[in-house]
Amino acid sequence: MEFKEKLLASHLAFEGSIDFSDSVHQTRLESLKTFEQKGFPTRKDEAWKYTSLNSMLRNDFALFPETETTIEIKKVKKYFLYEIDTYKVVFIDGVYSPFLSDTTHDGLDVCLISAALSKSKYRKFIDTYFNKIADTKDSLTSLNTSFTKEGAYIYIPKSVVAEKPIELIHFSTGKEKSLWLQPRNLIVVDKNAQVQILERHQSLKPHQVVTNSVTEIFAHQDSFLDYYKIQNDFSTASLIDNTYISQQKNSNVSMHTFSLGGKLTRNNLNFYLKGTNANATLKGVTILDEKQHVDHYTLVDHIKPKCESHQDYKGVFSEGAVGVFNGKIHVDQIAQKTNAFQQNNNILLDDKATVNTKPQLEIFADDVKCSHGCTVGQLDEEALFYLQSRGIPKKEAKALMTYAFANNVLESVELPILKRRINILIAKKLGVNLGFDL
Amino acid sequence: MHSEHVAVAKVFPYKLKYPMAYTEEELKKELETKEYEYGFYTDIDSETFPVGLNEEVVRGISQKKNEPEWMTSWRLEAFKAWKVMDEPNWANVKYNKPNYQDISYYSAPKKKDQYKSLDEVDPELLKTFKKLGISLDEQKKLAGVAVDIVMDSVSVATTFKETLAEKGIIFCSISEAIKEHPDLVKKYIGTVIPFKDNFFAALNSAVFSDGSFCYIPKGVRCPMELSTYFRINQAGTGQFERTLVIADESSYVSYLEGCTAPSRDENQLHAAVVELIALDDAEIKYSTVQNWFPGDKNGKGGVYNFVTKRGICHTRSKISWTQVETGSAVTWKYPSCILKGNDSIGEFYSIALTNNYQQADTGTKMIHLGKNTKSTIISKGISAGKSQNSYRGLVQVSPRATNARNFSQCDSLLMGNKCGAHTFPYIEVKNKSAQIEHEATTSKIGEDQVFYCNQRGIDPEKAIALIVNGFSKEVLNKLPMEFAVEAQKLLEISLEGSVG
Amino acid sequence: MLSIENLHAQVEGKKILNGIDLDIKAGEVHAIMGPNGSGKSTLSAAIAGHQDYDVTKGAMILEGEDLSELDAEERAHKGVFLSFQYPVEIPGVSVTNFIKTAINANRKAKGFEDMPAKEMLQKIREKSNLLEIDSRFLSRSLNEGFSGGEKKRNEIFQMAMLEPKLSILDETDSGLDIDALKIVANGVNKLRSKDNAILVITHYQRLLEYIVPDFVHVLFDGKIVKSGTKDLAIQLEEKGYDWIKEMA
Repeated sequence: MEFKEKLLASHLAFEGSIDFSDSVHQTRLESLKTFEQKGFPTRKDEAWKYTSLNSMLRNDFALFPETETTIEIKKVKKYFLYEIDTYKVVFIDGVYSPFLSDTTHDGLDVCLISAALSKSKYRKFIDTYFNKIADTKDSLTSLNTSFTKEGAYIYIPKSVVAEKPIELIHFSTGKEKSLWLQPRNLIVVDKNAQVQILERHQSLKPHQVVTNSVTEIFAHQDSFLDYYKIQNDFSTASLIDNTYISQQKNSNVSMHTFSLGGKLTRNNLNFYLKGTNANATLKGVTILDEKQHVDHYTLVDHIKPKCESHQDYKGVFSEGAVGVFNGKIHVDQIAQKTNAFQQNNNILLDDKATVNTKPQLEIFADDVKCSHGCTVGQLDEEALFYLQSRGIPKKEAKALMTYAFANNVLESVELPILKRRINILIAKKLGVNLGFDL
Repeated sequence: MHSEHVAVAKVFPYKLKYPMAYTEEELKKELETKEYEYGFYTDIDSETFPVGLNEEVVRGISQKKNEPEWMTSWRLEAFKAWKVMDEPNWANVKYNKPNYQDISYYSAPKKKDQYKSLDEVDPELLKTFKKLGISLDEQKKLAGVAVDIVMDSVSVATTFKETLAEKGIIFCSISEAIKEHPDLVKKYIGTVIPFKDNFFAALNSAVFSDGSFCYIPKGVRCPMELSTYFRINQAGTGQFERTLVIADESSYVSYLEGCTAPSRDENQLHAAVVELIALDDAEIKYSTVQNWFPGDKNGKGGVYNFVTKRGICHTRSKISWTQVETGSAVTWKYPSCILKGNDSIGEFYSIALTNNYQQADTGTKMIHLGKNTKSTIISKGISAGKSQNSYRGLVQVSPRATNARNFSQCDSLLMGNKCGAHTFPYIEVKNKSAQIEHEATTSKIGEDQVFYCNQRGIDPEKAIALIVNGFSKEVLNKLPMEFAVEAQKLLEISLEGSVG
Repeated sequence: MLSIENLHAQVEGKKILNGIDLDIKAGEVHAIMGPNGSGKSTLSAAIAGHQDYDVTKGAMILEGEDLSELDAEERAHKGVFLSFQYPVEIPGVSVTNFIKTAINANRKAKGFEDMPAKEMLQKIREKSNLLEIDSRFLSRSLNEGFSGGEKKRNEIFQMAMLEPKLSILDETDSGLDIDALKIVANGVNKLRSKDNAILVITHYQRLLEYIVPDFVHVLFDGKIVKSGTKDLAIQLEEKGYDWIKEMA
């Protein structure tokens, strides 16, 4: 049976097993129809021109891992920001782990979407936000919606500043040889509220896991959201991340994506600037080797006037890796005084790697400042030589220069401990041990 | 209902009308003519096929032209391929697809003989040229441009043949080339753009009725600009001209192409194919000023311009495309370079201006295959009125193309907020030694710039023309001078009524 | 030549000029001085006809004709020239091409034919010598990448080419070193005649040492609060604008 057929066939049983409100059921059924009609995207779809899901979809994925698994903390400690106090919402093979989590309802909600979807006191809330900003025409998003069961639910009320960061961590244990996960997150940052969130998907041993995640984020007026995605999974794990962000007036959202691991990663990052003076920042560092494939697909939709968006993606590729950047800036006719910038710089370290980049501008207003730039090149040989002539071994010199290349993306990481962590990850990825901290 | 027949070669009227610099006076006159300048219809006795397309029609065209068997079968093969192809819809343009069975695929002025002197040319045709500002007579005097004129798909006159022949240069209609130089045509036609390349190229390959052919022998530097002038004339016809330019080793040619069509309510279809072959150390400069009827202020009528242009560069050769696109209701056009030979160079300089309801999706492909290949892309898009203007370009570096270099600059200028400017660059790199740089900007004309001009006594309309010309300078500079002057005027005329 | 009567003007609803009276006769040089925000630049923009500056009251009469209802280019045709404090860049348009277009636009408005190319060239050569501008400069894009001195020299070059009746020099000395200042002032002085008039707008007295005015007016809060001869400028330099503020 083809995987699509399996998903469709499984849905009926799945639908009977859960207890959500009628309207959620309705949404799920409609979404399933959309997925049934559209199926998985193929390279014939312009948005998937450079990324094929075909070989991935040949696996026979388990859809519903049976039981909850416990993991010893010491085994996974390194995946947390253990040095500082954080809220944590942790899932193991798609199932919530109360043991590893640290949730709250005290002044803000950091808990589970399953609770929000089933409890009547959240009804109004769910009606307002659930599946409201997600692209209902997108097949993978629809697939996720139709199987929505678990994920994080975060609500930061008006004028609340979350005093510690929130970590969303999805572990997969490898108990199932092939596993298909579909977490669904809903994050609402109310007026004038502030929060930092970190998201991570991590296998505990090499196995075929594919995560098709959907996150909806609503940033209300004057709110601040600082979001980090760390993608450093085993090379057997794949991720399709669909994130939708709605920004109101004066809100400020920044999204950093660090793509170092994983087999195939597709980031669909969609910003909708729905209020004036909203500010969006999208940054990414991608360092790939060994046939890894990362596809950043960004959309920044300037719907209202006077908003600002900055995109800055850096990529370093070697050994058969494929890097794709597909960024689109759309400026609506009424969105005058828009400032939208997009930068994508890539370095190829050898001839087996590929970069495909497609930065797009679609501008319908005239009083705007929009630009994009992209480059593909290699590390500056002369600078390399200079470093070597000062006694720095070539490998370290290369790493140093790669750091320098990615530095302005790292610079804006607001959590010092996270910045250090990412530095270490990058050093590891480059196979060096650097005696410096950037 | 749509589509008319188009004609082939053009000489641009410009050089002749305004030798050297243009004057304000001429500009003034142009400005008074608010309507499409070339929108008249020439009443020349012509022979037009009934509408519809099938094998018989394809055979018929071939027969009319007394083509050899190999050409007929090539056309039929192309037709077979076309039948099962789909009209592309990925471009950022919206239009009612033509009914391809509702077009006449052949229309020729009745006189079929080659003209040996001007006396033999239909007087009506000469009048047409006069209206366009050219008289062949005048051309001869001015010397410097050899012209092949194609109207409604049939080549009607080629001047300067003898001068060129002395150098061994062949410049004639493609029909003539098929008869007189079959080896060359057979060797190169369809090699850069195979008929299966795309829907419109296949259609063209099946039904092309004429076009220009040019061969520059080894080591020859063509002493004058070669020029083709295309014009759609007959109603209800489509135009499918085919151009083949071969620059043999170490030769050089500069080729100009201009296009006009009468104003009509219906859309007219133009699906041309241009193939350029630059052999080792050769250089081809191909310039186009495209001014097909863009449709009226309400978006009625206008030409659908679906053109496939591509050149192949052999070792150390260079192909340079320069285009000024101000006409057509819908433009779908990507002059490209296949940089096959080591050290070859491809260039693309483009100005695309859209106003009212025009739509343009244009750009280039630079395919880097050889080592040390270089490409440059400079694209200037100007959108006014309710038009949509897209740049779409591909830069591809294959794994073996060591030391490939590309620089792309795409600037858009928006006038008013009812139009759109879009940029779709595709960059695909598989070699680590590549250096690729792409930049794009979007801007508008500053009020402070207009005021500055006003303060010096320049009215707003003229101020905008001046600023737009400045914006387009890098590309205008690439055109042969007289062509550039005409292009500047065209930009100005095309922007009329967009100030406010 | 120019007579301004009770001129009131505002920008985006904010009143800047509150009743200016000024009478400039042919052959005269007037200077307007004043602290930042006093309305100096507004006055020049209002005379030149910038659309953002609303004249709400009063009149500007140039040789018997009210300028208020004229567009900026029509005022230029009547002989009003503004040397911009911040000259605007127009990429891709060369200095030569720009001035040619401007000259012919002015000629056209007066019913003349375009200036013959030869005459144009000669004139450009003559006037560029006056401002010590070399020919390479003339083919550069207008004001793009120009130094402060080059921009101002270019403004005065245009003034020389267009031969206006009334020239307004808005902060022409700002951003100039002493050498450039001398060149510019020298150029202006050579252009002075009994038939034209110049209005110099400046914050400092420095420029007035080189372009010596017949009259000096002090602008404060949108009004001329004191008028005098060139000595007033020296006085102002010594005592500073606070002196004026105290008076006002």
